[in-house]
Amino acid sequence: MPQSRFPPLVTRLPKPEDRPNTQEAPRSINGINIAPVPPTDLGTKRAAQTLPLHRPPGAIDEFQFLSGCTRCGDCITACPHDAIVKAPDRLGDVAGTPIIEADHSACMMCEDFPCIASCEPGVLIDSISPIMGTARITEHLCLAHHSTLCTVCSERCPVEGAIVVTQGKPTVNENDCTGCGVCRYVCPAPENAILLMPAFARPGLAQRHD
Amino acid sequence: MKMMNSDRREILKSAAMAAAGSLVTGGSLPVVQADPGVADLPDGEGLTWNKAPCRFCGTGCHVQVGVEDGRVVAVAGDKAADVNKGLLCVKGYHVGGILYGEDRLTEPLLRQDDGTLKAISWDEALDIIAKRIFDSPQTFAFYGSGQWTIPEGFAAQKFMKGGLSNNHIDPNARLCMASAVTGFLGTYGVDEPAGCYQDLDECDVLITWGNNPAEMHPVLFSRVTDRRSRGEKVRIIDIGTRRTRTTDAANEYLNMKPHGDVAIALGIMHLLIENNTYDTSFVKDHCNFRAHPESGKTLMGEAISEDEFRKRIAEYTPERVSELSGLSVEQIRMLGDLFGDRNIRITSLWCMGMNQHTMGTAINTLVHGVHLLSGHFGKPGDSPTSLTGQPSACGTVREVGTLSHALPGGRVVANPEHRQQCEEFWNVPEGRINGTPGYHTVKMFDQFTMPTDEGGDITTMFVQVTNPGQTLPNLNKLFNDKEQLADKFLIVSDVYPTPTTALANLILPAAMWVEKNGMFGNSERRTQQWFKMVDPPGDARDDCWMTIAIARKLFEMGHEGMQDKDGEFIFAVKDESGEEIPIWEFEHYYDTNVDKHLFEEYRQFTTMKHKNLAPYEEYVKARGLRWPVVEQQDGSWRETRFRFSGFDDPFVAEGEEFDFYHSSTKDGKAQIWFHDYEPPPEMPDEDYPLWLCTGRVLEHWHTGSMTRRVTQLSRAMPTGYVEMNKEDAKDANIRQGETVVVESRRGSCQLPVWIDGRGRPPRGTIFVPFFDETKMINNVTLEAYCPISKQPDYKKCAARVRKMTEADS
Repeated sequence: MPQSRFPPLVTRLPKPEDRPNTQEAPRSINGINIAPVPPTDLGTKRAAQTLPLHRPPGAIDEFQFLSGCTRCGDCITACPHDAIVKAPDRLGDVAGTPIIEADHSACMMCEDFPCIASCEPGVLIDSISPIMGTARITEHLCLAHHSTLCTVCSERCPVEGAIVVTQGKPTVNENDCTGCGVCRYVCPAPENAILLMPAFARPGLAQRHD
Repeated sequence: MKMMNSDRREILKSAAMAAAGSLVTGGSLPVVQADPGVADLPDGEGLTWNKAPCRFCGTGCHVQVGVEDGRVVAVAGDKAADVNKGLLCVKGYHVGGILYGEDRLTEPLLRQDDGTLKAISWDEALDIIAKRIFDSPQTFAFYGSGQWTIPEGFAAQKFMKGGLSNNHIDPNARLCMASAVTGFLGTYGVDEPAGCYQDLDECDVLITWGNNPAEMHPVLFSRVTDRRSRGEKVRIIDIGTRRTRTTDAANEYLNMKPHGDVAIALGIMHLLIENNTYDTSFVKDHCNFRAHPESGKTLMGEAISEDEFRKRIAEYTPERVSELSGLSVEQIRMLGDLFGDRNIRITSLWCMGMNQHTMGTAINTLVHGVHLLSGHFGKPGDSPTSLTGQPSACGTVREVGTLSHALPGGRVVANPEHRQQCEEFWNVPEGRINGTPGYHTVKMFDQFTMPTDEGGDITTMFVQVTNPGQTLPNLNKLFNDKEQLADKFLIVSDVYPTPTTALANLILPAAMWVEKNGMFGNSERRTQQWFKMVDPPGDARDDCWMTIAIARKLFEMGHEGMQDKDGEFIFAVKDESGEEIPIWEFEHYYDTNVDKHLFEEYRQFTTMKHKNLAPYEEYVKARGLRWPVVEQQDGSWRETRFRFSGFDDPFVAEGEEFDFYHSSTKDGKAQIWFHDYEPPPEMPDEDYPLWLCTGRVLEHWHTGSMTRRVTQLSRAMPTGYVEMNKEDAKDANIRQGETVVVESRRGSCQLPVWIDGRGRPPRGTIFVPFFDETKMINNVTLEAYCPISKQPDYKKCAARVRKMTEADS
């Protein structure tokens, strides 16, 4: 009988009050946000380095992104999978900007990227690769590493070759992984075995006025 | 992680011992803790761990259930359980979540004339049911499942056969393992496997016959694959009609045509005889030969001579078998050589592939025959073993006998002696039990959905713990018609709304799993017990209580069948002072342990077929015990791993190597059957050019009514789909993910296409899982069934795939 080198997996069931709230829908007219948004004061300085955020595909350098994004919510409306949401108020300055929360819905890597197409201010662009971050498998939480068959992450990964299974165990090929978060969303392990890390740095736009 | 200190463990252990002996009462639930299962599980204020078998499949893994504030808050594998040693599959880890779906049924609901549902009280509901049964007891049918606990099944069985003198009781297990039963009966004269899961630990070769244990019984399959990671050699040979996750782990994959398994088994026997590699002494000492008489097919058949067997099997040359099965001549010879080798140990595994088969009984007996003829039998690792898909298909359906022809303990209604024995055990008047078998599942639903004036003589049906509105084959014929029939009354007890409750006239909210006491019996003859740990939501109540409460209503209305010989209620339970406990009132149901009373009554029935069970308290202490369980001289109880084998089975006489002590030929011998190959009932043709096979997936259990409500499982497998061969899809201009129509002569279903997914069917074959109630593939399947077991064939019919844009022709 299989003996695991890891501590036993325990499934914790949330109590009713722990259930997450759903996000409210954005409101916009022609790319202009009409919902109240807290003021942003970035001044001329770079924003303080905080936790990197999981931005939609094609997002440019975070500083440029924050300067350009009007929080209109058009990318949120355009996303056919409801994967893009407004950053919550607790994130302070960046509240209202578009992010992806893979635990609730992941980027499905649409072929035509309707989110990018909808972005009027041009902070989501198709000229850079749509890398949002990268996934890592936490082996001691992964069912396949606990001798129980599971192939869900590799089956559902929208990027061919990004998750490979050898001898029943999945590994992420970081060169191909876009960080879309599908594997995180679908992982059925008792505690999610996918660690999803947003990109720490993204390419910027050439500074045209310089 | 905080470890439990040994002092606390001791206290809990003694508490467990004390609780085990006491009866379950309303407020204080017993704590059953055996140390090895919880030693390294998280500890916490108010958190208690209790053992329970998993709610899902027939493997019978044990879980540890963490309860806090009256709610299940954690689940882990149980290290003290011999079946799974702490391991679980993905469903097992989420078994706790099935209690807490948002749409649990919490009150009885009565359908009104306008189709809406109205909440009513339990008392009103019971009155309605009792009145319908009282007015027409012989047109009432009870449909249950292999998810009935043993006491639930026993109560239903006694209520129908010992109370109403009505044999129209059948379980969904008829759709699931009836052919395995008839296969065991035809071969050994008694049901259920001789071996156990230890065979998986010791076999050199594992053959999966149309079986995908990697997805359907993953914990058992891990037992095999994990041996490889320890450096052991296990050769896995997968014989199937499509490549699966089991194929991924197999050394060889043999792709057969549907029904090819029959030819393959005949071909192996042919080679064993031709090459003279069969086990002459085993066959001489322990086997007879058998076949159907010319007059027609029967369960027990008639004796044929070895010469006659040789003559008939001679026709199944490798060349002919190759043509019938689709395997190459070399592959058939390889299998023949394999079984001819006495130095290796071979275990055969099968489940629905061989059971859901119009030659289900035949293929089951043939695979037993291959093992008997070759002598690959009765040693650890050398065994033909069928797996079950439901947690108590064996314990309840097969052992308690909740089938239209059966009585508890391997008895049948047609046998006057058996009826008399049951009447004595139940203390009911002689002649109470009806000697004519009732309707089997397909017939039962056919009669229920047929208008009364056309001869549909089932008018009221009570369904417990199953979802026939999704699982019956050819739903348009067998279920959906109910909607138009105003005089037919469908009562459904379930935990969530399902396609069955959608047509129900009366819906009863049920308690499930650890919301009630229970006992299951798994695939390896292991009887398991658990205690109620949390209360059911709202007004949901135990299925067993429902049966008893209905019986009580009938008793009070003066139905004579609800009285025993002495005029007492047939489910009467008395306290120590001789006072009757009103267990039909739910607030008093847990004043005593009704499960224990029913189980102790049932135990008496089990010795005739040497399926002896231990007293209830022994199961409280154990993680299940495999029958026959016999008392030792020191008062302890010993389970049996290998039946019929002298080295382990207490009922084989000292010094005997084997004894098939329920042999149908009464000479201690097993039967090696011959059957001629027959083609499938429906084959692809010009109009419907594809083979359709249906089945399950790893993440969902059966109709998904429980697992689809667990977020993680639903996300991991969100929708039903149709697996297509890549080339077939290309030819039809069908893309990955495209929604198509799958249709047969009987109905249709829309499904997204999955190419090169988990299963990879060969050209001309499609596969669809049946778990998704929004995509009902059983509108498409065929209701043809095995003539002996009456089990339908869900694994093969003719179908086609149409693009959504193409017109319906």
